[in-house]
Amino acid sequence: MSDNKKKILEMLAQNKISADDAYRLLSAIDGGEGRRESGNKAGTAVKDKAKYLRVTVVPGADSERSGNCDRVNIRVPMSLIRAGIKFTSLIPSDARDKVNLALHEKGIDFDERNMKPEDIEELIGALSDLEVDVVSKNGESVRVFVE
Amino acid sequence: MKRPPMLMHMRIQGEKGGFGLWLPLFLLLPLALVVFIILSPLILVAAIILWPSGWGKRAFLSLRAAIEVFWSMRGLSVDVHSGRQRVSISVV
Repeated sequence: MSDNKKKILEMLAQNKISADDAYRLLSAIDGGEGRRESGNKAGTAVKDKAKYLRVTVVPGADSERSGNCDRVNIRVPMSLIRAGIKFTSLIPSDARDKVNLALHEKGIDFDERNMKPEDIEELIGALSDLEVDVVSKNGESVRVFVE
Repeated sequence: MKRPPMLMHMRIQGEKGGFGLWLPLFLLLPLALVVFIILSPLILVAAIILWPSGWGKRAFLSLRAAIEVFWSMRGLSVDVHSGRQRVSISVV
């Protein structure tokens, strides 16, 4: 039994709240826990689904005919991204301060030290919704997506 | 359980010619294990000396992270064409 539920029952026992209030509060707590559980399940499903980060550059028809074109096809496993992010925790503190300072100068207030493992998982989970699709005037297409 | 990468295929194509290379990564794993066992006394001494300064722990964590990165490389594929030049790397 959670602390919150215990507190509610204690308040009921001390007649500080009515039985109806206690029921409403307990239902609200159960609903919140249920939502959190289903959210976690959805997060796990997304994590399982997203396997690769893909970056593709496809030239336009005109550039392809001329033969002077660039074509890029990169597939990075999500597990490799996860392992790479963990590497950042090994950056020496003085080097990290320099990185943070450089980011601050560029207007980005981000401190990597504040990143927790669960934040990294959430970030990677959120990557599954990422899709960048850019088509230039000459028909060149750049796509970044997760599959 | 994640499986380690077994093979790495590299292909580099230039204007005048190119080459392809299959690297049997599965053969590197026993080799790395043997090297690690041989060097383990030295690693242990280095870790004991460096531990108070904090670098020993950092070295161990780096080794662990490097192994994790290697283990996660399965499925990586990079294929870049530019004109007649081509670089292709895939890990299976």
